[in-house]
Amino acid sequence: MRKFKTAAITATMVGALTLAACSGGSSSDGSGSAEPDTAGGDAPNELTFMFRGSDYDKAAYQTAIDKFEEETGAEVTMIITDADQYATKLQAAIAGNKVPDVFYIEPGKMMGYVYAGVLADLTDYVGQDVIDNIWDFGTDAYRFNTETGERGNSADALYGLPKDVGPFGFGYNTVLFEKLGLEAPSADEPMTFDEFVALCKELTQDDELDYQTWGTGLNVVWNSQAFVWGAGADWISEDQKTVTVDTPEFAEALQWFADLGLVEGVTPSVEQAQSLDTYQRWMAGEIGFFPVAPWDIATYNSVAEENPDTFGYDVIPYPVANEGDDWSTWLGSLGIAVSENSKNKELAAQLATYLSTDLDAQKTLAEGKVQIPNLIDYATGEWIETDAPAAGWPANTKAFLEIAESKGKPLPGVWTYTPEWYDNFWIGIENVVDNGSQTAADFVASKQTEMQQLLDQSWISADQAKVTG
Amino acid sequence: MATTTDTEQVTSTWTKADQKAARKRSAALHRKEHGWAAAFMAAPVIGWVAFLLFPMGFSIYASMTNWNGIGNMTFIGLDNYTRLVQDPYFWKALWNTVFYMIGIPIGLAISLALALALSRKIRGRTFFRTVYYIPVISSLAAIAILWQWAYNGDFGLVNQALSLVGIDGPNWLQDPTFAKPALIIMAVWKGLGYSTLLYLAAVQAVPRSLYEAASLDGASGWKKFTKITWPMVQPVTFFLVVTNIIAGSMIFTEINIMTPTGGPSWSTASLVWYVWNQAFRNLQMGYATAMALVLGILVLIVTVIQFRINRANDFSID
Repeated sequence: MRKFKTAAITATMVGALTLAACSGGSSSDGSGSAEPDTAGGDAPNELTFMFRGSDYDKAAYQTAIDKFEEETGAEVTMIITDADQYATKLQAAIAGNKVPDVFYIEPGKMMGYVYAGVLADLTDYVGQDVIDNIWDFGTDAYRFNTETGERGNSADALYGLPKDVGPFGFGYNTVLFEKLGLEAPSADEPMTFDEFVALCKELTQDDELDYQTWGTGLNVVWNSQAFVWGAGADWISEDQKTVTVDTPEFAEALQWFADLGLVEGVTPSVEQAQSLDTYQRWMAGEIGFFPVAPWDIATYNSVAEENPDTFGYDVIPYPVANEGDDWSTWLGSLGIAVSENSKNKELAAQLATYLSTDLDAQKTLAEGKVQIPNLIDYATGEWIETDAPAAGWPANTKAFLEIAESKGKPLPGVWTYTPEWYDNFWIGIENVVDNGSQTAADFVASKQTEMQQLLDQSWISADQAKVTG
Repeated sequence: MATTTDTEQVTSTWTKADQKAARKRSAALHRKEHGWAAAFMAAPVIGWVAFLLFPMGFSIYASMTNWNGIGNMTFIGLDNYTRLVQDPYFWKALWNTVFYMIGIPIGLAISLALALALSRKIRGRTFFRTVYYIPVISSLAAIAILWQWAYNGDFGLVNQALSLVGIDGPNWLQDPTFAKPALIIMAVWKGLGYSTLLYLAAVQAVPRSLYEAASLDGASGWKKFTKITWPMVQPVTFFLVVTNIIAGSMIFTEINIMTPTGGPSWSTASLVWYVWNQAFRNLQMGYATAMALVLGILVLIVTVIQFRINRANDFSID
């Protein structure tokens, strides 16, 4: 027993001592596996490409890379990781000085990576003709002025090319509308908030069909942006330096969003949404309006095919506060960047350009319903006319292109050095939208100062990173 | 008269050269042995330096820098520690982490009761032992997802079971009051098998003669438990308390899966979850390291206190 005790003491002391050095960074499933060598290629024609994604991504890129290798004589090693582990693995690779030649980069983390000298400036490597044929947002998201810290200006240096642009569209259940004898919303003109609520009320039924239905069921963290913007409010000023949540229009828009469930009763309750979340209920045909994004299309199509009596869908503009207001929604993106320390920077830049704009790869990804094409001429021509309908994209797919072209904005927090100030907004939001124990006006007033402090801190950190690298 | 003893004869047969050669051989042997000894010792020492001393030193230095985890470090002294003291989210996360420790005594009490039950000759003993151990070898991620469903406020298994006895269960993971207890219940359930197994081994190792002697003296079952079983399993209890506190202070996976935004009103965010967020989402590796070090030191202090208390209560039957 004494020996056992000694062993226990030793084990616990070592455990306690190593805690600080080991905490954090664990994978979400606790699994471990042999790590691939992420370092950039040594030989003049060797490149490494680290990315995450689906089988479609891999297949599309494999074809593009095979072609690239054939054309340039390059040898590309692909390193694919799980989506949830990619960011930490990339950070570890950078810390370990084993940066791949070409890799995915989130636009939100770009500033830190540029200041740390990790990302190569691609401005001189990518032709203007190539840039002109990519959605503005797709390149602006990877432009950065290292002096002012400003993002999104087309005159600034380019540190990445888009793997994709992801329009977060809005849709409705065509079958449910038909069943309830409702007129389908316009594919081109946005509804006003009042029209939207009126339709939602008509869609919320428990005795019309043999199952209960609701107007909508929107997650506040991912779905409220379009409505806040549609009311003319925002989380942050255009120069990204001032938090703007404590305004009457913001509070009004947030309260309106909360009241969809609390007052109007047109969404499933918190408990109902928990038992079967609104995404599942939407696919079960129980919800009238729900977000539709390119990465959902394949799933929605198979659901519509299996259950044509309950589910069908199309894309429409997001509602706005008043008639004539401009609608908008958020537009995501994932970038392809090149390591500043790559031994084959020019070749790596060529590969990044290839992966972002190769027509065959774009066709494969769009056909697989992974993303809309990055290439404007293809997307607005052959794709929207023939390829998209043939591949089963929704009837009003042009709404996605409209978002990519002009209606899309980055999520708040993506264009600041860190998103902590924006994340802070969601702490306690359930008191407004779930249980109504706090009004939206009180909530935003209580958040303004703290969020501003965190945003100021973000700018201070950015300035420090600019100096120290 | 010159006489020679045997020794002198033997010695005389050893020339100075022989003695020198023998010394040389002996020295060579010693050197070789010392070399091997050094080599054997080097492995753990190098391991200790590379995997403990260096990371610890690096962590301490990193905690005093402004570092985003990818760029250069700037030494800022104790600024991160000053910030930490003023950071309400650090204290909230620390409080949440401490609150999770409530599960430790509850889990140990249930484990000991189970171990006592399973040490008796009951039908299906092996089956029960296996059943209780299954959660230990199951994936934590899978368990977290299962419990997420079980805690569903509407149709979850937990509330359905409660409704059988007339209790209207809360919306566990969406209610700031119940979110932490919900995670504690899951953690207790998950760790039960391991603690029970150790207790079972300890209970079965208690000499039967002690119980027989106690029976002869007319001791009741409760007396036998408090005066024999409990003291005899104390080293295991101590081991479990210390290791559970260390493991509990690092709780992360279940929180990240079941309440990925830190729970309603940040009620489930643990310190390691906050550290991870600051390090990898907010690019504040220096600050995150400072928090991790403070957590490590707190755990060390608690562990030392436990050792002291345990030493005071130590006993031997020798």
